[in-house]
Amino acid sequence: MSEHTSDGTELEAVEPGLEFLAPKFEVEGFPWAQVMGYVFSLLLTFAALLLVVDHAMPPILLLAVILALALGQAGLQLGVFMHLRESRGTAWQLLPLGLAFFIAFALVGTSIWIMLFKTGVS
Amino acid sequence: MPAFLLYLVHTLFPPDTRQPTELGADFMILVTGIGIVYILTRYKKWRWLWREWLTTVDHKRIAILYLIAAIAMLFRGGVDALMLRTNLALPNVQPIGALEYNEVFTTHGTIMIFFMAMPFIFALFNAVIPLQIGSRDVAFPRLNAMSYWLFAFGAMLFNISFVVGGSPNAGWTGYPPLTELAFNPGPGESYYFLSLLIAGIGTTITGINFLVTIIRMRAPGMTLMRMPMFAWSTLVTSALIIFAFPPLTVALALSLLDRTFGSSFFTLGHGGMPMMYVNLFWLFGHPEVYIVILPAFGIFSEVVPTFSKKRLFGYTTMVISLVSIMFLAYGTWVHHFFTMGAGPTVNAFFGLSTMLIAIPTGVKIFNWIFTMWGGRIRITVAMLYQMAFIPTFVVGGATGIMLSVVPADYQLHNSYWVVAHFHNVLIGGTVFGLLSGLYYWWPKMFGFILNERQGKVGFWLFVIGFWVTFLPQYLLGLEGMTRRMYTYPFGFGWHELNVISTLGAFTMGAGFIALVYNILWSLRYGERDLTGDPWNGRTLEWALPSPAPEYNFARIPVVHGVDEFWAMKEQGMTLANQLRPQDVKALELPKNTGMPFMLGLSFFVGGFGMVFEWWPIAIFGGLGVVACLIYAAFDYDDKEPLPADVIRHTEGTFGRLQA
Repeated sequence: MSEHTSDGTELEAVEPGLEFLAPKFEVEGFPWAQVMGYVFSLLLTFAALLLVVDHAMPPILLLAVILALALGQAGLQLGVFMHLRESRGTAWQLLPLGLAFFIAFALVGTSIWIMLFKTGVS
Repeated sequence: MPAFLLYLVHTLFPPDTRQPTELGADFMILVTGIGIVYILTRYKKWRWLWREWLTTVDHKRIAILYLIAAIAMLFRGGVDALMLRTNLALPNVQPIGALEYNEVFTTHGTIMIFFMAMPFIFALFNAVIPLQIGSRDVAFPRLNAMSYWLFAFGAMLFNISFVVGGSPNAGWTGYPPLTELAFNPGPGESYYFLSLLIAGIGTTITGINFLVTIIRMRAPGMTLMRMPMFAWSTLVTSALIIFAFPPLTVALALSLLDRTFGSSFFTLGHGGMPMMYVNLFWLFGHPEVYIVILPAFGIFSEVVPTFSKKRLFGYTTMVISLVSIMFLAYGTWVHHFFTMGAGPTVNAFFGLSTMLIAIPTGVKIFNWIFTMWGGRIRITVAMLYQMAFIPTFVVGGATGIMLSVVPADYQLHNSYWVVAHFHNVLIGGTVFGLLSGLYYWWPKMFGFILNERQGKVGFWLFVIGFWVTFLPQYLLGLEGMTRRMYTYPFGFGWHELNVISTLGAFTMGAGFIALVYNILWSLRYGERDLTGDPWNGRTLEWALPSPAPEYNFARIPVVHGVDEFWAMKEQGMTLANQLRPQDVKALELPKNTGMPFMLGLSFFVGGFGMVFEWWPIAIFGGLGVVACLIYAAFDYDDKEPLPADVIRHTEGTFGRLQA
């Protein structure tokens, strides 16, 4: 089941259902995924900017839409540029990534909790 | 043309940079600069400087560069501290006025944290970590050089603010609205934001670099639970850096946008939220205090076993407490602004989480004491700093717990009690730790041993000076003296304590002079470290010659347990008597490059342009940054071969090759 890469390291077999995690180190060619990822990330950015500058919808809806765009942006960055899917064998990077998300959400969540103080005292 | 020149002089040298202290600094910079240029030219050392130091990617040389910068910044921050203490020594006597006092305490804090403690820590990371984990280099040698030059040029940008354009004056925390353009015009605060942003990129890169180095480049057999404790503390510190610096970057960048481009993130008007800056700053700021203390914990965990001739007591609990400190460090930041009034629930939560940190820290303190218990203790300078650290840090920790009690904090907030507390942990913890590490690893870095006798003189001056300075400040805090006041009237009963405190500060200054004298004296007359193991050490760095050859290990050792070098010595083995000529293989070393230096220089030019809003210069610097990055991305010729014969020859001259 194992195969060898050009530098002689042995690759672990990819489990069924996890083929999308298979390494893509040896694949060469024009980096279409990266170019398209770049274009899409710019589109998402400018879409959010235009919506806000034009006050295109009511504030609450606007907030929801740009949050959705931000999530799409984050997924795009992780998938295309941050090596989410690349791994030799087990995708160890997913574990610290989960930890990073946990810390980020905990920090953002508690920050919102802390900064609600104005409604608490006024 | 004269109008243009007049504008230049007026912008670059406004009236508050033409005061006696600034003119004195101008003179010293000029004299030192001319002296350096003269010596380099006289002895034809320009080429040597460029090839051996400015373009180096060797972690051991980068460590020395960091160390030189850190000691220079310790001098600058220390002189600032003496200026502050002189101004406060007597009531109503003000050698420097209110405005300059603000600038000096801002500079003192910023320099000591970002440009003294951080590079000092990175100096020891760079000097020790690859050797300790049995690696030939860090994971990304070029990024390592980039980190250094971004730090160095960031520090330079901050330092020139004193003499060019005017210093920042809103405290090391840079809170709005003190930094808001309407209330604080002039380039000072822009210097602060830009220099910290530039140095912050370097710091983040260092965090990533050492995290990857420790995860990926340990010698075979060195599992995580066999790593030396300093490597563990470096791993945890790197993780803290990676998560802590982004909030700072965001806070600084948005403040800069507020100042430079008229946005309103943190302004008083237009819906800005100044307290959000405070929240973001301490989201970084609290992990930051652990970023500077955990390496000191790691240093003590190396120094204590070596000089007690015992293995570290409670290795596993040490690791558990390090990791739990890492997590808890993210959950305590509100204790820096309890008085914002976020409500009893929020304050109680963060008060309790702050108290929790004392538990793992206490575990570590007891582990060091139990390591010494029953050991054969040698009182060296490194060990002395450790023994001074324990009581000092316990006092600093206990006063911190007192501050975590929210009602008490409302009384003590912004008083000299707080000033005394954080100096107690930062000097008693970080600085004692770094000086201990400096004496301990100096032979490994430079190949000679610092004089122990002179070191002890410096130690006693420094430690006694420390207590004489800061113990009175606790009392001053209780008597109501507030932080950052530039003078005080007679009759509050503050002047005796202030005089004592100032005397202590000058004693610490004498301790610093003793350290510098010791370095210069030992450079010339100090005992050379010919064995590579002057302290009878326990970890792998002592298995190498001092200083280590550029490839570190001729053959990467295999590790079987904690304290691998100690185990080797017990079995009568060394790295040398295992190395036969045929074991030596040719290597590839990273090639020196001028790119990191040019990148730092571009950031400096761009940052300088931004400070004065001279856009052509800013854009020019920005283009330089882009050019350096493009060059770096396409420069595939980044390795050079090191033939096996050269390695055999080097090992032979050390007498470390079997015939």
